[in-house]
Amino acid sequence: MAGIGFELRKILSRDSYTATLHAYVYAGLISSGPWVLSIISVMLVGIISLGLVIPNSLVGQFLVTVTYLMATSLILTGGLQLYFTRFVSDRLFEHKYEQILPNLLGILLLVTLAAGVLGIIVLTVMFDQPLIYRVLVLSNFVVLCNLWLVIIFLSGMKAYNRILLVMLVGYTLMVASAYVLSFLKLPGLLLALLIGHSALLFLFLYDILREYRAEKLIAFDFLDRRQVFLSLLATGFFYNFGIWIDKFLFWFNPGTSNIVIGPLRASILYDLPIFLAYLAIIPGMAVFLVRIETDFAEWYDRLFRAIRDGETLQHIGQLKTEMTLSIRQGLLEICKVQGLTVVLLFLFAPRLLDWLGISSYYLPLFYIDLIGVSIQVVFMALLNVFFYLDKRTVVLELCVLFAVLNGGLTLLSMYLGPSFFGYGFTLSLLVCVLLGLHRLSTALEDLEYDTFMLSAR
Amino acid sequence: MKHKEAAPVADICLLLEGTWPYVRGGVSSWIHQMILGLPELTFSVMFIGGQRSAYPSRRYEVPSNVLHIEEVFLEDATRPTNTRAAPRVADPQQLLDLYRFLHHPDAPEPELGERLLDCIAQGRLSLDDVLRSRASWEVLSEGYRQHCADPSFVNYFWTLRSMQSPLLMLAEASRNMPQARVLHSISTGYAGLLGCILKQRWNCAYLLSEHGIYTKERKIDLAQATWIAESSGQALNRSLDAGSGYIRTLWIRFFERIGQLTYNSADNIIALYDGNRQRQIKDGADPARTQVIPNGIDLPQWSRALEARAPGIAPVVGLIGRVVPIKDVKTFLRAMRGVISAMPQAEGWIVGPEEEDPEYVSECRSLMASLGLEGKVHFLGFQRIQDLLPKLGLMVLTSISEAQPLVILEAWAAGTPVVSSDVGSCRELIEGGSAEDRDLGLAGKVVAIADPQATCAAILELLRSPRRWQAAQASGLLRVNRYYTEALMLQRYRDLYKAAMENS
Repeated sequence: MAGIGFELRKILSRDSYTATLHAYVYAGLISSGPWVLSIISVMLVGIISLGLVIPNSLVGQFLVTVTYLMATSLILTGGLQLYFTRFVSDRLFEHKYEQILPNLLGILLLVTLAAGVLGIIVLTVMFDQPLIYRVLVLSNFVVLCNLWLVIIFLSGMKAYNRILLVMLVGYTLMVASAYVLSFLKLPGLLLALLIGHSALLFLFLYDILREYRAEKLIAFDFLDRRQVFLSLLATGFFYNFGIWIDKFLFWFNPGTSNIVIGPLRASILYDLPIFLAYLAIIPGMAVFLVRIETDFAEWYDRLFRAIRDGETLQHIGQLKTEMTLSIRQGLLEICKVQGLTVVLLFLFAPRLLDWLGISSYYLPLFYIDLIGVSIQVVFMALLNVFFYLDKRTVVLELCVLFAVLNGGLTLLSMYLGPSFFGYGFTLSLLVCVLLGLHRLSTALEDLEYDTFMLSAR
Repeated sequence: MKHKEAAPVADICLLLEGTWPYVRGGVSSWIHQMILGLPELTFSVMFIGGQRSAYPSRRYEVPSNVLHIEEVFLEDATRPTNTRAAPRVADPQQLLDLYRFLHHPDAPEPELGERLLDCIAQGRLSLDDVLRSRASWEVLSEGYRQHCADPSFVNYFWTLRSMQSPLLMLAEASRNMPQARVLHSISTGYAGLLGCILKQRWNCAYLLSEHGIYTKERKIDLAQATWIAESSGQALNRSLDAGSGYIRTLWIRFFERIGQLTYNSADNIIALYDGNRQRQIKDGADPARTQVIPNGIDLPQWSRALEARAPGIAPVVGLIGRVVPIKDVKTFLRAMRGVISAMPQAEGWIVGPEEEDPEYVSECRSLMASLGLEGKVHFLGFQRIQDLLPKLGLMVLTSISEAQPLVILEAWAAGTPVVSSDVGSCRELIEGGSAEDRDLGLAGKVVAIADPQATCAAILELLRSPRRWQAAQASGLLRVNRYYTEALMLQRYRDLYKAAMENS
């Protein structure tokens, strides 16, 4: 994410309160942008159509379909996202810019084929909905899978204002077309979703096409095993799988869910609080991005430059201490800001839920989810630091642990009863963050040893 | 494999560093001569090279009494073999010993060397331990903090690494070597070190022959080395003076210490001439184990040359050798100026290839012109010396560095007295080493290095005095026949090998 780090440092160097605020708002939008904006706009689509699409259960069907689309497309492409991000940044590091675009088109082709085939099989075997529904779901699925891969380029691009503008256009288009197309009922809403996401996909693709030159149309260098890290596929898969496993468990437990459309089930009890809670991570994400991409990245650069340029061991040690300090400060700040957000939301939650027309029955679950998603921000920050330090095995270990724990503890919480719902998710994240901190501490301790003695040259 | 270890396959295991069968040169042809000259013995060879690419093809045909050739290249040493599995926990004491012995500023005590050698030979300390273990890192970085005067840690790190790892790599590679009855290394350095390791493992006799003095040669290399700065990239260029100085010190120390290890371990330490034997003793060799075995020439080959010589003293003075600065051809030219002024009928011949240093050759030619020697001094290029030597009245050697030049022995065998600069074994050759040797008389004249006047005087003295010239010719012939024949050299090694095989 070299691009954004540079941009943020530029804003921060203006050194005023408004500039700092500007940087954080920027970072917040960039880091949580696609994710949070998706939730907001989909909810907005839902709210708008509540009065227009009769019966209201159709809106529920729409929301659940979208949720499944998001979950499955993220799990399917999660591995590829990490895998391809690394491929792209390695090629950028080697200054092989002309390889980027053909390979992006190559991977998009593969993803389109794979998602299309998979979608067709699942939709024909498991669904008996009208053809129009199935076609729209399929197209949405393929578009989303592609979108997740295109989005990884955003942080590397410099035109942030343009990115924000594109997002605004895409999501506005989605909400507007939902309003216009609401007379088509469920297919209309799905079409609106498709229009919005397709607009995002093609506008971003247009920008990327303009930014990178290419000598050929399509390439599959990313399939060359010497140029990539296969373990990243597993890491990305387990991370996304871990994030969704508790939801799936609640959806497919007859006691906590009900059928919504076709084979798709939902657990209103569990879903609503956690999606609301996700909106609360914006401040933490903003701090995370600013701290990691400015302070930490800067010390990291200086440290490794010092190692390469033949500084003394003492100087290398000092720079490492500074880098460690910047990580500690970054994590601390995330905790402070996210902690404050959580406290405020704890105070205002009853009124907020009341205002949104949501039963106070959801309150305890909302509280524990708030804590869970806040820990998730710390977790993501840790994973990012590990990626910087090239500790791929540690990240894989943490992601697998997270998936396993979230699955296991969620099952346990379902067995223990409603007052324990949400604890599985939160507890598994807590364990992973504690283990991650421990691993980080060892990794930093052994940094020189690892760098000199263990990295193969 | 078991079968191999049960019975020794070869009598003698030769340990060769950067020579036979890949590189032509004095040492290589000596090795070839030895193997061919002792057909009743069988040999196995372990060849140590730096980079594989530097040795594209063999220059010598391998004789049939060489049963096995094993090759190992030092460039393979710093590549970690196993990067996936976690490194094992190494014994910090062993790695500390390694550091202490090779790199510590204070000279180590011999017991430390013994302990280290045993530990390397038995494989208790592995290459992977050195390359990847935590203990190794700790010893390295502690050593840096304690002793390193070079600001760059990367340079220090890679320097130590490229010293330590070949040791372990050689120890591991030599496990493939089939056992032999006697070890014989033709230098100290890596070959000598390998000898120490194999001796420890096979528990057999170990001979060391040095043609030059390896440690001294490495010091000269290092003093001229540009690679020290290059190997570590741009980093060092900034601090070239302070930095490379320390790195150089580390390298010299390293070669001194492994040389010491070899001297301690070898049962016989053989030099070509007494001057080098003294140097070995100075460098720590036990005098009781040192001895001199000079090179010899195949005399029967030279009888025709001796017969071809015309009676009388030809007024021709020859310098035989490549036209390169180390032969100091310019001093020869200046000396010839004086000779020709006093004896206008005299001629100077410079015999030897001129491809190696064209710049030096042209300097020599213009010096010849400015001294007015054109038509008097001739550059003859490469010639068959059996045909050429009988035509010379005198052979002159003005080199600034030699070991034991065969060309002096060859000149004598062809009946040519020699004037030589006082380098290597030249004085010992011309004036005689032992008392009986001295009684044979002077086989020419020894003069100081780079002294044209003395050289000129010596040439004139011999050319103008038939009595002295005859005496010098006679004692040269006598001396080469008595002390410097190939048969004698081979017999001495045959005896040494025999004794060593009985001891093993």
